[in-house]
Amino acid sequence: MAPPELYALGQNQTAINSHAFNANRNEVAVSLNSTDATIWERHGHEWRQTETLSEHDKMITSIDWAPNSNRIVTCAQDRNAYVWQQSPDPQTGRMVWKPTLVLLRINRAATQVRWSPNEDKFAVASGARAIAICSFDPEGDWWVSRLLKKPIRSTVLSVDWHPNNVLLAAGSADMKARVFSAYIKDVDKRPAATVWGEKLPFNTICGEYTSHAGGWVHAVGFSPSGDVLAFASHDSSITIVYPPNSAAYTIKLSSLPLLTLTWTTENSIIAAGHDCQPLVFSGSQGGWELTGTLDDPNANKTGGGAARAGFGAASPVGRLNSAAFNTFRNADSRGISNVPGSPASSGESELFTVHQNTITSVRPYEGVPGNIARVSTSGVDGKLVVWDVTQVSPIGVTGIVGRLAGMQL
Amino acid sequence: MDVNFRKIDIDQYDEDVILDSELYEPDPRDPAQVLNDAKQKAAAVRQSLARGDVAGALTAVLEGAPYGPNVEEAKNLNLQTVVSILNSTKATEIPNIVRALSPDAQDILMKYLYKGMALPGWGDVSGSVLLGWHEKLTEAAGTGCIVRAMTDRRLV
Amino acid sequence: MSNTLRPYLAAVRSTLTAALTLEDFASQVVERHNKPEVEVGQSKEVLLNPLTISRNENERVLIEPSINSIRLSIKIKQADEIERVLCHKFTRFMMQRAESFVVLRRKPVKGYDISFLITNNHTDTMLKHKIVDFIIQFMEEVDKEISEMKLSLNARARVVAESYLAAFAS
Repeated sequence: MAPPELYALGQNQTAINSHAFNANRNEVAVSLNSTDATIWERHGHEWRQTETLSEHDKMITSIDWAPNSNRIVTCAQDRNAYVWQQSPDPQTGRMVWKPTLVLLRINRAATQVRWSPNEDKFAVASGARAIAICSFDPEGDWWVSRLLKKPIRSTVLSVDWHPNNVLLAAGSADMKARVFSAYIKDVDKRPAATVWGEKLPFNTICGEYTSHAGGWVHAVGFSPSGDVLAFASHDSSITIVYPPNSAAYTIKLSSLPLLTLTWTTENSIIAAGHDCQPLVFSGSQGGWELTGTLDDPNANKTGGGAARAGFGAASPVGRLNSAAFNTFRNADSRGISNVPGSPASSGESELFTVHQNTITSVRPYEGVPGNIARVSTSGVDGKLVVWDVTQVSPIGVTGIVGRLAGMQL
Repeated sequence: MDVNFRKIDIDQYDEDVILDSELYEPDPRDPAQVLNDAKQKAAAVRQSLARGDVAGALTAVLEGAPYGPNVEEAKNLNLQTVVSILNSTKATEIPNIVRALSPDAQDILMKYLYKGMALPGWGDVSGSVLLGWHEKLTEAAGTGCIVRAMTDRRLV
Repeated sequence: MSNTLRPYLAAVRSTLTAALTLEDFASQVVERHNKPEVEVGQSKEVLLNPLTISRNENERVLIEPSINSIRLSIKIKQADEIERVLCHKFTRFMMQRAESFVVLRRKPVKGYDISFLITNNHTDTMLKHKIVDFIIQFMEEVDKEISEMKLSLNARARVVAESYLAAFAS
């Protein structure tokens, strides 16, 4: 029974906007709330930064790493996306990441990017009320895009691919989750009929679902078989839809909204968000329920201190980056005091969960689709955590809500 | 030079822009029928209260609560009915009553509590009564209930 | 603490916790901009229902949530003319120094005495429950502060009157 592995990538708790592992899980690409994406390499129980991918001029919102073709795609609020490929440097012969600009044709921020299962296409969600489906054009030697536009009425917040490489689910701020066909003639073979429909020309709408109490749809996900859709919305609920007769199960949470979800098996989902802990949902066509959390409230969180130090040693010690400076700055702006001899105050400012702030991304880490053994999460607190999905604890008052309820006025 | 052209809201001509009416599903009932329903419920609630059945009265009034435009009269009537129930409940009974409500009814009750608090001094709305209910309801239904009161555009 | 103040602050605390579920959100109206949607108010779908928490007609809090920012406005208790003047001076003093308070808005929302604007940048860099604590503490302190100022103002007036009238007594 291994406890969750905890790595603090962000210096001074800089938010991790997005993270993506490579196929071997020995490298990870993250964006630390900045215009650069960074690649970190695993050395035992430590991660070291090896490369910086800087091309964007606004904050990077999402990263995805194609496991088989070893390509990284990044998108940012500057309306651009880049595909990064490793190639030998002509002078030194070292392998370096080379960017290729993607012609997205969107005029607002890009919010999320995901490679399709066959890695020959990717989808970029955007604030331009559109989703760009990008495929490689060998003649022009660039990535071209086609836009899914109708009937999206607001910023698209999340996308997820169906395992057949054609269907795409999208959740948007107009309170709807939709399933589109992203069939591109030159790339895709004619897909077999699924529960979502048979004939699927580009931009066919195969399903449209409204969130229960009008919240923005933050996360969408197809089940491993692709026959079930789950979406989490800002009204603190998660909905699981069974097409074609659209039997839908909505679970209302008593805590704060979820922002991200991933399927671990055909009958279980892990979702996380503002409550700072990954929640486990399980069920089948007969019904769904919240079964527990991965964050064991009784585990000794301070025991992770060694792992937590992770990157501390690698930090460049500059004039304004010294330990003393950080201590005072933390005390000032975050109310964290690390002064020895005042243990009570540090306990007061820490949450009881592993993540200390909102979790923004949960992704499969180990296992094959349909049988995921471990998942990784990253969040606004700059931590990257790897969880064993079998270690489910019953829900307690551990989240931020519990934290607030426990305080006296 | 005339600079008034700068003040024109060009975004309203964007055909993709979302409209108020698209933010939620409209109530299928006719406004006159909604008002009629609200009146019937008010009468039924008075009977239930006379019998001392607070939980039953609250469940009845929260079910099919009027929302959307054009039903102001029914909304006010329903709010008045809800407030009369809230005012006539003993503080010690509140925790059991809110726990017995269905999750949907809890969400709607939360909406009424905020609506009542937005109108201090309206009718016989009393801040301290509403705050007492709010505290007990939050204990029973959690902050998720408050989040839903914010996100749901079906305003009561 | 008086009987109704505690549930009032508890309601503000739970509502604020629910509202502080913010995320980064780039403007969908203006290219390459990222601004607090609650202040822009042009995309209706990313604004949520404003909620009011009131203790009585004279003391209430308005919370206006949106996808990447919330605006919290407080109406402070003002029982008489002196309290009104003191409250005006006090909030004016604070708001002129808004940049030192990080989350303070320079101008209150109409109908309220003081407003705070909390964006996703604040919830990213500061601990959420500390922001909530700060607001609650502010609400507790501001009443105390104003009644203290009123007492000292009255005491001072008495001293002034005494020493002024002393000239006529002799």
